[in-house]
Amino acid sequence: MKKHALITTALLLFASMTFGAGFQVNVQGLRQLAMGGTGTGWMWDASCIFYNPGGLARLKNIQAYGSVHFLMVNTQYVQTPTGGYSARSKPGLYTPFNVYVGGRLKQDGKLALGLGVYTPFGSGLKWDDNWEGRYVVQSISMNAIFFQPTVSYKISDAISLGGGFIYAIGNIKLKQAVPLQDANGNDGYGELKGHADGVGVNVGLHIQPSPAFQVGISYRSQVNMKVKNGDANFVVPAAASSSFPNTSFKAELPLPQVLSVGVGVRVMPRLVLTAEANWVGWKAYDTLFFDYETNTSTLTDTKAPRNYKNTLALRLGANLKASDRVALMAGLAYDPSPVADGYVSPDLPDADRWLVTGGFSVKATNKLTIIGAIEYGASKKRDAEYIPANFNGKYQTKAIIPSIGLSYDFR
Amino acid sequence: MKKILFVLGLASLAACKPNLKVDPPNANGVDFSSYVAVGNSLTAGYSDGTLYRSGQINSYPNILADQMRIFGALEFKQPLMPGEYGFPKAKLVLGYAQSPCDTSPSLSPVPFSGLIDTAGSATNIADQGPFNNFGIPGIRAIDFLIPGYALAAAASGFPYAARMFNNPTVRPLDELKLKNPTFFTLWLGNNDVLGYALAGGEENPSFVLDTRNISNTNSFINGYDSVLSVLTRTGAKGVLLNIPDVTSIPFFHTIPANGLPLDTNSAALLNSVYASHPSIRFHVGANYFVVEDPAAPGGRRQLKPNELVLLSAPQDSIKCYRWGSAVPLPKKYVLDSTELSRIKEATTAFNNHIASMSVSMNLPLVDANAFLRQAITGITFNGVTYNTEFVTGGTFSLDGVHLTPRGNAIVANEIIKAINAYYKSTIPMIDIHKYGGIRFPM
Repeated sequence: MKKHALITTALLLFASMTFGAGFQVNVQGLRQLAMGGTGTGWMWDASCIFYNPGGLARLKNIQAYGSVHFLMVNTQYVQTPTGGYSARSKPGLYTPFNVYVGGRLKQDGKLALGLGVYTPFGSGLKWDDNWEGRYVVQSISMNAIFFQPTVSYKISDAISLGGGFIYAIGNIKLKQAVPLQDANGNDGYGELKGHADGVGVNVGLHIQPSPAFQVGISYRSQVNMKVKNGDANFVVPAAASSSFPNTSFKAELPLPQVLSVGVGVRVMPRLVLTAEANWVGWKAYDTLFFDYETNTSTLTDTKAPRNYKNTLALRLGANLKASDRVALMAGLAYDPSPVADGYVSPDLPDADRWLVTGGFSVKATNKLTIIGAIEYGASKKRDAEYIPANFNGKYQTKAIIPSIGLSYDFR
Repeated sequence: MKKILFVLGLASLAACKPNLKVDPPNANGVDFSSYVAVGNSLTAGYSDGTLYRSGQINSYPNILADQMRIFGALEFKQPLMPGEYGFPKAKLVLGYAQSPCDTSPSLSPVPFSGLIDTAGSATNIADQGPFNNFGIPGIRAIDFLIPGYALAAAASGFPYAARMFNNPTVRPLDELKLKNPTFFTLWLGNNDVLGYALAGGEENPSFVLDTRNISNTNSFINGYDSVLSVLTRTGAKGVLLNIPDVTSIPFFHTIPANGLPLDTNSAALLNSVYASHPSIRFHVGANYFVVEDPAAPGGRRQLKPNELVLLSAPQDSIKCYRWGSAVPLPKKYVLDSTELSRIKEATTAFNNHIASMSVSMNLPLVDANAFLRQAITGITFNGVTYNTEFVTGGTFSLDGVHLTPRGNAIVANEIIKAINAYYKSTIPMIDIHKYGGIRFPM
């Protein structure tokens, strides 16, 4: 009998993870969120540190702004072609949060400073440990928190610009079953956990030709989130344990660059309409690698192809000042998927999605505003394949995100 | 605030449930109510070198019957063994074994040493029938026309027909006539060539019915067609499966022909042993085994690259007692090129006939031969790549010939694909990972 090599090489160990577009959560400032996610054109509050740092110098005073989001995602899978199997993801709650502090240093000055701490990526998906796709993914989660000190300068009454340096930290965690069964028939599994960090910039230009018309352009660079020393742990039958040593790993997850152009028009004294386009450079994100410190014939470094395409998301929003204290917001967005047919993985199956948003704000005092927003997103039903794992099915994801926040003006 | 969140939360839960609709399975008029599977050990659920209860439960016909149950299929009865030990032999499990010259044990298939729960295995259980699984380990197409087959097979270590037949003295074909299937699968003929291959081509021409012989093609056709005409006599629909090239299974390609690694000293020593055989030479590294061959000078020669060593070749003797080097391997552990071409010829002839019957009888064909060839390089399902490697490939059980439960589920899926394509039905595909593979010791 061949003494060695009794363990299969036939695993796609973590090679099938995509860390797809679904991890991007466009939940930042709540008024903007409630207006279909438009925030690049019209400046409202300190969350422009995220949407368009060029607009920070338009803030008359220092503002502190905080929000928290309750992201609930549900995904359903139905096997194709015959639908003999279906599964629903386990309910999960993710809570991206954002804090922005900033504004003009002097009320009639030109220079503004600020700091944003926000969560542009933060989601996950958990399937039952014994579901049909367990050798592709059992659970996955990822979050990234960006720290962005920001400077903005008002060149003239019409034009301001700004920029910030991004330092990002994050966590990734994923779990996959290993097709080696113990004497009781239980699968093994592998778990990867790691801290990541990376750097980038966020710059913007804001133009206000008239009080009723605003235009903005912003650019957020790609941020390469590097995992330098993650933990790879394996639970497999003892007979196979030497093939799956617990070790450390390196990985790199590029978060894509985003170029945004937005406009806002005050069409009536109480009504502002906004429109925005976001070009997202997903294409750079074409492979994901895992580099293990200790390699064996079964634990080899992996490089997974994803073949992403760049996308253009379109957003529309409205803000209606209902009274001196209360405003109502509504919006609509279309966010196409960067994932090409044939590469839709169950780790966070991605599809074109429609978002409907709404919200309200209440000016509780002269300084304090309370904002609530809700986003509802439903992906198109996607008949999809994941070619590297030969895993096929139909997916739909629905997400609902209620959010709450406060802003406080120091004046 | 909390109230608002709570209400929002409740609303969310309701609105955020995806609702993909699944079309209900459609039999498209095919009557799956009484399914009968006819075949040999592969059909019976034979696995790990023997027949045991959970192997039978995971047979491809039983897996398939589970899917057909959606259309109101009747019970699929199998002649289940009472226990898990294996009958008549113990099943193989992965364990640790140590040959006399090994310093430490290594992972390999060993006979199961647990509870012997075989009591009652030999008892005739025909009264529990009629059985839908007519898979009889060891049976060939030609055996269906032999009166008293069940008794003869029992006498040579295959007691399975005798266990389930109402009358062991009749022909298996007569026993089959007691069934009235509305749907059938037929995977027959493997043993008409496998017996020869397992015997290393050491046939017995003096006794026509010896299982070590390749069946005569006309006799094969006779047996096969008789079975098919019984199955279709009341208009049943069904599926035919052809015969995989037996030499692509792990039993024949696990031990390489050049599986003799030598260092400088042992190569030199062997060269001195074979000083009088100039055609037999050894060098440092991988060497071809020495095998008996009456036609060669001195009655022995080294294997050629295309020849196959059987998994039954005794490993301890090779490792510790210099079999395959100083002592030539007996011929019965090797398939030479002549034997291989005879196997190929017969397989082609049998498969040509099965293909022609599929056309003339209007029955879909599962090309198991082509599928297994594809599996050699690997077929990926839901994140796992399966191939035909011994133990590691995931499809073949520890005997290197029969399937694991997952292997059976893969076969059942291929059958479903063929049924759905031909009869325009929509039997749901099987989640093959619901079934087990090779189990590793703790």
